[in-house]
Amino acid sequence: MNLVEKILARASGRSTVEPGEIVIAKVDRLIMHDLSGYLTAEVFDKRVNAPIPDPERAIMVFDHHFSPPTEQQANVLQRNREWARKHGITLFDCGNGNLHHAVVRHGLIKPGMIVVGSDSHTPVHGTLGALAVALGNDSHAGTVLPYGKAWFKVPETVRVQLDGTPQPGVSPRDIALWLVGRIGEGELNYRAVEFAGSYVRGLSFWDRWLFPLLCVDLGAKCSFVEPDEVTEAFVRTLPGADNDLLVHGDGEDAATVLRFDVGEASVQVACPPTVGNVKPVDEVAGTPVQWAELGGHGGGRLEDFRVAASILNGRRVHPDVRFNLVPSSREVFAEAVREGIVLALHEAGATWFPPSTGSNQAYNMGALAAGEAMISTHARNFPGRNGSPEASMYLASSATVAASAVAGSISGGKS
Amino acid sequence: MTAKTFAQKAIEQASGVPDLVPGQIVDAYPDLYMSHTASWRCIRTLEKMGVDKLYDVDRVAMVMDHLSPAMTAKTASDHSLCRSFARRMGIKNFFDVNAGIAHIVLMENGLIRPGQFVIGTDSHSTIYGALGAFGTGVGFSEITAAWVTGKLWVKVPESVRIEIDGELGSGIYAKDIMLKLIGDLGADGLTYCSVEFTGSYVESMSVSERMTFCNLAMEMGAKNAFVAPDEITFAYLDEAGAPREELKVLLPDEGAEYRSTVRLDGATLSPQIAVPHTVDNVLPVGDVAGTKLDQVFIGSCANAKYDDLVIAADVLSGHKVAQDVRLIVTPASAKIMAQASASGVLATLIEAGAMITNPGCGACAGNGGAMADGEVTLSTANRNFQGRMGSYDSKIFLSSPATAAASAIRGVITDPREIEAVVA
Repeated sequence: MNLVEKILARASGRSTVEPGEIVIAKVDRLIMHDLSGYLTAEVFDKRVNAPIPDPERAIMVFDHHFSPPTEQQANVLQRNREWARKHGITLFDCGNGNLHHAVVRHGLIKPGMIVVGSDSHTPVHGTLGALAVALGNDSHAGTVLPYGKAWFKVPETVRVQLDGTPQPGVSPRDIALWLVGRIGEGELNYRAVEFAGSYVRGLSFWDRWLFPLLCVDLGAKCSFVEPDEVTEAFVRTLPGADNDLLVHGDGEDAATVLRFDVGEASVQVACPPTVGNVKPVDEVAGTPVQWAELGGHGGGRLEDFRVAASILNGRRVHPDVRFNLVPSSREVFAEAVREGIVLALHEAGATWFPPSTGSNQAYNMGALAAGEAMISTHARNFPGRNGSPEASMYLASSATVAASAVAGSISGGKS
Repeated sequence: MTAKTFAQKAIEQASGVPDLVPGQIVDAYPDLYMSHTASWRCIRTLEKMGVDKLYDVDRVAMVMDHLSPAMTAKTASDHSLCRSFARRMGIKNFFDVNAGIAHIVLMENGLIRPGQFVIGTDSHSTIYGALGAFGTGVGFSEITAAWVTGKLWVKVPESVRIEIDGELGSGIYAKDIMLKLIGDLGADGLTYCSVEFTGSYVESMSVSERMTFCNLAMEMGAKNAFVAPDEITFAYLDEAGAPREELKVLLPDEGAEYRSTVRLDGATLSPQIAVPHTVDNVLPVGDVAGTKLDQVFIGSCANAKYDDLVIAADVLSGHKVAQDVRLIVTPASAKIMAQASASGVLATLIEAGAMITNPGCGACAGNGGAMADGEVTLSTANRNFQGRMGSYDSKIFLSSPATAAASAIRGVITDPREIEAVVA
């Protein structure tokens, strides 16, 4: 059995499971954000209203808002808060970071756990060797909260084998975007996607993170990286570090193996209107941008700000560009302050925002006017997601975003 | 020749009409027209009227400080309209969504100078008196007219002197003095008066404190406020790029006529707080100590200057924000953010659990940090009107940054003198 199958077998009290079987498994964590918690609450209060055993296993992080701009949005947050407090659900209020980074930083996700959540990028926790899937609010309210369980159809596994050496200047984010283009959106529906190969093994934890993050755009149910010494060392840096639930797969071949030589990838940009519309940066270089942003589940890491600081060293943000910096967690912001990155990038003309999902869906910031364009490290670029449907959203690596912020137009960073 | 007040001299200079007396109406030519995010209203009006030429673009200053950055497509297009207008007209003093609060940004950039007559589309434009300018708030129609004609009618105000002497006790700040004055005199106590602050305490105040004074004078109804420029002013202006030799200081004459003089001994003061729902509903902090808070906001043009953040950080150092309370800190400008970042103040605030937002008006008028039904906020801003920060069914208290920081630690309204200093 592979990692996903072993976790599901253990959590459902079976010795083995096979792809296609439906099992009822114990869930270790339910993670929700401010746009989903209150909807789960509504279903739960109206139709379930049972005691919640182990309510602290349910976690809510306010990340789409950091400082609500309207009374209506404030009331939504208040509804979330009241419900969390009433039941003893673990709550991280505004400013703690985006959901997925905050729960990892607080040591709440461990290898081998089953994690469910309402955010579509929940599978990112497969980076830790957890089985993480996105469910709906009804499932959370109906089975996860009162029984601590959910049903799962055991997914078939596809291994994405990444070997080779990237070309100079090609970052893990470029390779992740390139893969979406190569494999195709929705091509791996309901599969478990394992990221493997010498390239993946050589990446740090936070660079590996970018791969399970994208699996939802391939249509996958979940994703994982087989835990190794990098995973275990990372877990030891977390509060309450333990690897008690750690599971390793048996190493047998997946039903399907997709092999890629990462040396073939160039610097990539996902262009409107979908994440899969990926092009080499040269094809869109020179496109004017008015906004650039480092943030979101894939882009507010310390690594991203360090890259931006090295690119902006001695340079300034272009006068026609507003460059937003959104740390993925309070811990990242504090560390960036200590390293002097906050001051350096601020003085280069960028603006820092509270740890959150930043401009994601423009709940608190990031609405664009018709004709404006933003280049960012966010995960999605659908039209109308950020203000006007006539605005354009481009997705790229932190280096490309920072270089474009300096140039005032999409730039491959060669300059 | 009769002795004149500051207001008489400033309006005489701006209008070219000599020997003005209170009550007289003249056309004045402002040195600067400040307008903020809603400048799009003025631009749309010009478009409708078919006007495409401004009196003097160098006197236009536009700052995108409210609703920044945009959270709706409408606001994004408003910002965008202002940007393209500024570019088309050649407006040099255009400050985008990342600059900070208009008043503070203009003063930091040396655009506000002693003796100037400045109008702004914000009622707290009285703040420019901190640098010895005549600053007053006007509407968008007036600004539009000034853009085109260069002038605006003004009625010469009567003047009132407020004299503050004595030393303040520890934990008591400029904000406490102003809240006390507003409480004593009332929201309409000095309607349409030019308020001249004097006295030994005022002379010792930093420019930051003078800003707090002149900003809050509005809340007594003042037309404008004034602190006489001195070495402290000149040092600030020099750093802001307005060297002393370029300045034309106007000072009131000895023996000028004042409607009244108000005196306050700072030594008698305790920390003050404005309670819902008016700014003149002021009590000693002790009277409402223990009131449960949901949110503390350190921001606004009244009290989010660098010195204010230092005061808050000194209180918060070594402490943590109470569970269930959100502490939002919004530096007033990008420059202040840089100072706080360089000096370690930012690190102290983050360590204590504050959430730092982008510079700008932030939660002051509920565009961010909006409150839900039934919530209570303690804010360092200048207004606590019902519904200003979100729900009509929420409450706003106003205090100094020290009281705000102390209250964030306890989660309830707290006299800052009760919080023990923790030496880092």
